[in-house]
Amino acid sequence: MTLTAILIVASALFGIGLFGALSQKSFVMLMMGLELMLNGTLLAAVGFWAFTLEGAPKGQLLAILVMAVMAVELAIGFALVVAVYRKRQADVVEALGTLKE
Amino acid sequence: MMDIAFYILSAIAIWSGWRVFRVDSMIRATFALMVSFICVGGIALLMSADYIGIATVFMMAVEMMVMGLFMVMFMMNPAGLNPMQMVHQYRLSIGAGIVAFIGLTVAVLATDLPHNPLPADRDTMRDLGINLLGGSMLIFETAGVTLLATMLGAVILSSRRGRFGNSDVGAVPPGLQPGGTPAGRKVEAGGGHGGHGGHGGHDMKIVKTPEHEDMGHTHHEMAEEKPAVSDAEPMDQRDHAVGHKQGAKAAEPLKPEHDHSPDPHKDHGNTPKKEP
Amino acid sequence: MSFAIALIEMLTFMIFGVFLAAVLDAFFYRRIAGRSGVSLLMPLYAAAAHLSRQRLTTEAPDRLNWFLSISGFLALGAIGLAVVPFGPQTAVIGMETSVVLWGACESLVVVLVFLHGWSPNSPLALIGAYRYVAIGLPIMLLSMFVLIAVALPAESLDLRAIVISQEGLWNVIRQPLGLPLFLLLGLSLTLRGPLDYGDSADLAGGTSIEDSGANRAGWQVARLAMLVGFSAVAASAFLGGYLGPVLPGIVWLALKTLTVMAVIIAMGHLLARMPVARMLGLIWKVLLPIAFLDLLLAGLVALP
Repeated sequence: MTLTAILIVASALFGIGLFGALSQKSFVMLMMGLELMLNGTLLAAVGFWAFTLEGAPKGQLLAILVMAVMAVELAIGFALVVAVYRKRQADVVEALGTLKE
Repeated sequence: MMDIAFYILSAIAIWSGWRVFRVDSMIRATFALMVSFICVGGIALLMSADYIGIATVFMMAVEMMVMGLFMVMFMMNPAGLNPMQMVHQYRLSIGAGIVAFIGLTVAVLATDLPHNPLPADRDTMRDLGINLLGGSMLIFETAGVTLLATMLGAVILSSRRGRFGNSDVGAVPPGLQPGGTPAGRKVEAGGGHGGHGGHGGHDMKIVKTPEHEDMGHTHHEMAEEKPAVSDAEPMDQRDHAVGHKQGAKAAEPLKPEHDHSPDPHKDHGNTPKKEP
Repeated sequence: MSFAIALIEMLTFMIFGVFLAAVLDAFFYRRIAGRSGVSLLMPLYAAAAHLSRQRLTTEAPDRLNWFLSISGFLALGAIGLAVVPFGPQTAVIGMETSVVLWGACESLVVVLVFLHGWSPNSPLALIGAYRYVAIGLPIMLLSMFVLIAVALPAESLDLRAIVISQEGLWNVIRQPLGLPLFLLLGLSLTLRGPLDYGDSADLAGGTSIEDSGANRAGWQVARLAMLVGFSAVAASAFLGGYLGPVLPGIVWLALKTLTVMAVIIAMGHLLARMPVARMLGLIWKVLLPIAFLDLLLAGLVALP
């Protein structure tokens, strides 16, 4: 369980999350991709704390901050999804194309 | 022992993260993501970050529960009873994911990572607590205020009553073709019949697209009848509906004029499936 | 070897606890209904009756989630009992953050009851699942604040330390608002009485409407196991756990757990259930501020 192994697992999670965020059409699935990316980031933060910081508490704070970011992103993301649906009846990403040209 | 646990947990985390985007059932996708987070929480526990590991499990269980409810709200196929894949730019995104993974792995393998491991007797919980309410109180308080702002923002953004009217007044869904006339239901403040007038033109489009395999044959009958009727006006719709009732022989007598209103919903729902 | 002893103690505790909980439940029900008493072998008869019936199924159920929800619920009850200390340092799961682990169990209960209602692909089950989520999530918040208040005098999130901190005075006397709120959580976790929005009678069984045979037996046993686990946690956090003068620790723990179980079963049968919207308003507008008040009072006491 070296730092390298943990970081490789974290980058794998990040890569899968990036694939999901770019490929999914529905808003909710896109947010699942973002959550996976943050998952990878959380694992990387905890890994760095455990192996390079000698247990300084700032590392754990970074991890807690990442968790707070996840919560905020989920809440505001879903509120925006609901608001967009009410206004435009759009539940896929393709439907919001007014800035395209 | 810890290494074996680490390998098993990481394998499950990566596999269930991949399954999130491959399963048909949306609830299973949500809870596969939760399993992935639980495994990451377990790895954090193995690294003696007790609080963070369990707090991850705790938070993610609740978050994925809420996300599951939103999945059922917004996704077409929540139970996965039909196989479905709603993707766009598929190869590009696979490429991007692989490039990101390879890039990050190369960066990790190429750098000389410092090695200051956690001393075995360090009381991580106590350190975290003392730091959170001591030296890093500013971070804590800022996070608190941010979460308060998030709560208020989420409630306000998703509220239906606004100062100037309901939030879905005048909402028209995007067109079936880009830049086309809006399909689907129009939310009117005054009730449904004015909206039906607008539907006549849309139903003309339905006839052209061959997507009726999941509808009953009465809809086909009605779709064939439409071109024979003049342009939609509210009164015409009623006469047409009456004619439709007489025309449909054995069909559902319980369905009044409103039965063509579900069509645009179904088409609007079906169309994105067929595009890629 | 102390881990093996603790594990055996825990399993014995769980089996006896589930048995007694079933007997108490039937006893209270029959007492209130005006019928005669109940034999001590009733749970065995009921289990045999359930297991001898066939396992009916619905159209396109989610079999994996059906199985996972029932077995997961049982596992969460077992984890609840595992974090409880049976003696000064004897707990099957002895970690510094055992209260947070219990909190994670509570949140996973909400997930599993939702999955239990989702998997049979049946409308009333799904309605039960949704109602339960709407009530279960805020009730869990209540319990978290109450447990933090309990952890303040102990200066630790470890349930063993919390029990040790009650050697002078039990938490139910130091923090009187805590135990009533925690008992509400117990009602919600075990799907009983006024907080039984998941399995309620007005939904003809709610999330367990399509359970039959082994599934039904499994779900009922899981609910009783969760009752035992929860009561043990409540007894440890508020009533002093294994502390007591003459008898050995585990006997005191068993008596206190039995008391809490009896109180929850009685509340389950005696209190009425409100409509969901009203209960939601009550939780968010009345009970959560009371939980904040409890935490504030505990903090004020702990400050100097």
